[in-house]
Amino acid sequence: MTDRAAPPVALYVHVPFCVSLCPYCDFVVHAGAAARGPRARVDAYVAALLTEIDLRADALDTRFGPPLEPGAPAGRARPALATVYIGGGTPSLLPAVTVGALLDRVRSRFGVAPGAEVTLEVNPGVDDRGDLAGFVAAGVTRVSIGAQSLVSSELRRLGRRHAPGDVGVTVETARRAGAASISLDLLYDVPGQTPASWEGTLRAALALEPDHLSLYALTLDDPEAEGLAGDLGDHLPTTAGARRWRTNARRDQDEDAAAAAYERACDVLAEAGFRRYEISNWARPGHESRHNMAYWERRPHEAVGTGAHAFDGHVRRWNAAALGPYVAALAPAAGSGLEPVLPPGGSEALDEMTALREAAILGLRTDRGLTAEAVAAGPAADALRWAIDHGLAAVGEDGRVRLTRGGALLSNEVFRRIV
Amino acid sequence: MTTPQERLRNFSIIAHIDHGKSTLADRLLEVTHTIDPRQMTSQVLDSMDLEREKGITIKARAVRLEYTSSAGLTYGLNLIDTPGHVDFTYEVSRSLQACEGAILVVDAAQGIEAQTLANVFLAMKLDLTIIPVINKIDLPSAQPDVVIEELENVLAIPREEVILASAKEGTGIDAILEAVVARIPPPKGDPKAPLRALVFDSYYDAYKGVVAYVRLEEGRLRSHDGLRLMASGAEFTPLEMGVFRPQLVPVRELVAGEVGYVATGLKSVRDAQVGDTITGASHPAAAPLPGYQAAKSLVFAGIYPISGEDYPLLRDALEKLHLNDASFSFEPESSVALGFGFRCGFLGLLHMEIVQERLEREFALDLIASAPSVEYRVRLVHDGEVLVVDNPSLFPSSGEIEEIEEPWVALSVVTPATYIGTVMDLTRIRRGTFESMEYLDPTRVLMKFEIPLAELIVDYFDQLKSRTQGYASMDYEEIGYRPARLAKLDVLVNGEPVDALSLIVHREEAQAIGRRLAAKLKELIPRQMFEVPIQAAVGSQVVARETVRAMRKNVLAKCYGGDITRKRKLLEKQKEGKQRMKRVGSVEIPQEAFLAVLGMGEE
Repeated sequence: MTDRAAPPVALYVHVPFCVSLCPYCDFVVHAGAAARGPRARVDAYVAALLTEIDLRADALDTRFGPPLEPGAPAGRARPALATVYIGGGTPSLLPAVTVGALLDRVRSRFGVAPGAEVTLEVNPGVDDRGDLAGFVAAGVTRVSIGAQSLVSSELRRLGRRHAPGDVGVTVETARRAGAASISLDLLYDVPGQTPASWEGTLRAALALEPDHLSLYALTLDDPEAEGLAGDLGDHLPTTAGARRWRTNARRDQDEDAAAAAYERACDVLAEAGFRRYEISNWARPGHESRHNMAYWERRPHEAVGTGAHAFDGHVRRWNAAALGPYVAALAPAAGSGLEPVLPPGGSEALDEMTALREAAILGLRTDRGLTAEAVAAGPAADALRWAIDHGLAAVGEDGRVRLTRGGALLSNEVFRRIV
Repeated sequence: MTTPQERLRNFSIIAHIDHGKSTLADRLLEVTHTIDPRQMTSQVLDSMDLEREKGITIKARAVRLEYTSSAGLTYGLNLIDTPGHVDFTYEVSRSLQACEGAILVVDAAQGIEAQTLANVFLAMKLDLTIIPVINKIDLPSAQPDVVIEELENVLAIPREEVILASAKEGTGIDAILEAVVARIPPPKGDPKAPLRALVFDSYYDAYKGVVAYVRLEEGRLRSHDGLRLMASGAEFTPLEMGVFRPQLVPVRELVAGEVGYVATGLKSVRDAQVGDTITGASHPAAAPLPGYQAAKSLVFAGIYPISGEDYPLLRDALEKLHLNDASFSFEPESSVALGFGFRCGFLGLLHMEIVQERLEREFALDLIASAPSVEYRVRLVHDGEVLVVDNPSLFPSSGEIEEIEEPWVALSVVTPATYIGTVMDLTRIRRGTFESMEYLDPTRVLMKFEIPLAELIVDYFDQLKSRTQGYASMDYEEIGYRPARLAKLDVLVNGEPVDALSLIVHREEAQAIGRRLAAKLKELIPRQMFEVPIQAAVGSQVVARETVRAMRKNVLAKCYGGDITRKRKLLEKQKEGKQRMKRVGSVEIPQEAFLAVLGMGEE
């Protein structure tokens, strides 16, 4: 099966710290004393992260040989990374020098190709947007800002600490620092949101002239109920407060309003020159997230940090979400005599059928769609025939099959017929 | 280990749910060293997962205890455990028939409950010696004096006979055991007479064939004897016989008065039915023992496999389960909406729920059940013929019906006096009539009603519990059929009648119930890819209409590294969820919708 495996072209680095927890967020995050102040776990975590980068790179060196010099022609051997994504959490809480150290380590152990896309997630708050100029100087080329909404009441309801104005300041600062690409995350189907307030958020976001927009329907799940929060799970248990918040918020969500918000966004953003290149992502030409495209195209990617997911073309692997065991494995106490080892986690080898189904689903998420041949031969054939019959998918002039706008909104109806 | 007949005691424990029967049984097993303390779990006798989860006993069980009395004599005590729910009175009566005595356990804080009363009366009718035990005297809220008073007033039990105990703390256990040997008479029956053994329960074992639980009335049962079942005529040589400790322990011989088991090797439980008499093949008894009345099904529902190809599996599962629980009935039926399945008859709603759960768990089946119904008698216009109908969808059209009769029951409710009005209202809106009321003690009353069974099975018990904060208890028995003004309410989903959703309602309430049912179905039927109208109709007249709007959005917004696996698994789960739905025409209807008709009788 190793013949399907290939060296990574992308690297994800997880930074699980935030000033405070947002009640709707499912990501692996620690807040409060763990994130700031004398008892913060950040330094210990960064040390562990650097060690994991080394250990993962050691394994890749053994498996595929050392990384090619940046710029060397990519052949069979291990190419330098095309993209790096530092996500969280709030990685902008890290000092620029720390981000620099992480990127230096990545460069020396993985290689980073010239012109690579290096994304850093940034929170727009005054105390957590961080040293944007320092980040750019350290090598960050793309800034993804967690704006969520540009309406104060919605931000408060979401438990966000920043004000709408902070988003503009952050965009401006990033732009001035020389970030090549700026993205905003926005949420719809938020409790209390109206068609007018959503329109307002969209207009205000466009006025900031971002290069990229990610629009997410607020999704309130319970990873614990999905069985993802066990010892080796990739999620942390949901707090009781968050669970209560979600139960209340769900009552204020509305399927029809959400569908209308999505459709309105499609119109407004298209008019503003943005292309919807994935179900939830819009970009001005040339500003599509190359890192995320690697996920959707199932290209091999490495990942470090708690709860991070990697893929080698055959096996999907993840680190456990728990912070303590992660640090203990990678940064054993001095004098313990223990060698650093890879952290606990899990993996799943994909059989060929699963891989084909996954490829069909991910392909349909993007506007590249699927080739007619891929459809005809693969396990998605019946589902797509059904989708086309119901107007959820269509065959383009280029012969490729894509979801229609209505199909994007009902994509799970198509996908569940594929799995 | 043969025990002389005069030192045998056969007894049951009668108790309301949660009054401590299982704990007392556990304690008796411990004190008599029947179970190795290391293997002791709680609720030892309730070995079914379902029983442990629900904290109730479903199947009767038996266990043999060896007890050395204060006088130094060793007795063989057979404890026959009985179910404690109103649905299982039938099982209780069978167990009691195998006993000479019964321990009546009453909670010191709760007092006597309706169903305990019914079971005690049953025991008294069978002339059993009652040993009254007031349990949980350790509770701060215990009021043993009040309960003693109740026992005296309601059951005429002399106060000096009452034993105070706490099964939890182990107090009173010795006194109970001493009372069992002193007060309960030993079984009678001539060991030298021809063998007569009553089968009081049975189950099927893949290796031993039908295993019959027996109470020997007369004669001896030895392993080399050829045996015969007097009703079925089946003959066999036992593979094994023994006693319950509580696992099966083989013995060489069982004598008159004993309780034990016989592995018959027979392949069909029909050959060794509960209530049959086992006798010797060469020296048969002249006449069988009086058997049991067959269990009578009161509640009927269709059970269908979610996927049609599981129909043969369901049939096998029903046959196998029936070997273990002869008290439900089943026969094939088909439904336009649900395909091929079985019409099943149950003792009550809990029994129905348990049978469905056991089929799903023990046989790995995915099932869907239609709403429960009672058995109606329908007299036709043209020839006066009377049809018995237990399935609303098979009701003749209203023009053909001369008269409909429905079953009624006498209902007893024991409740704190503060809830008299509540219970009265609850019963009246369900067409119940009040008959009488009697104070058990200054704060609790026994109320008697008559009510149509159909009104009772809907959710009366749940409502009674919730409206009295769990304090009221109930029991009922059939009192025959009475004429009723009823009509069939049909449901159309997307223009197609869904036969499994039809129900029989009181004619005056048809429209109101139709409206509520349509509204409830609207909530329960998930949005589909298109708009789905839901209509309720009596004959050709539509009495209510709702619409399930078309689905607008089902999308997972984020799909990055870690989301890919998660999303796939979520989709796989969604797909399974869909498979648990039934397709009617082009609409996917979940199981809950078929049960929506429950609780429609009331606002």
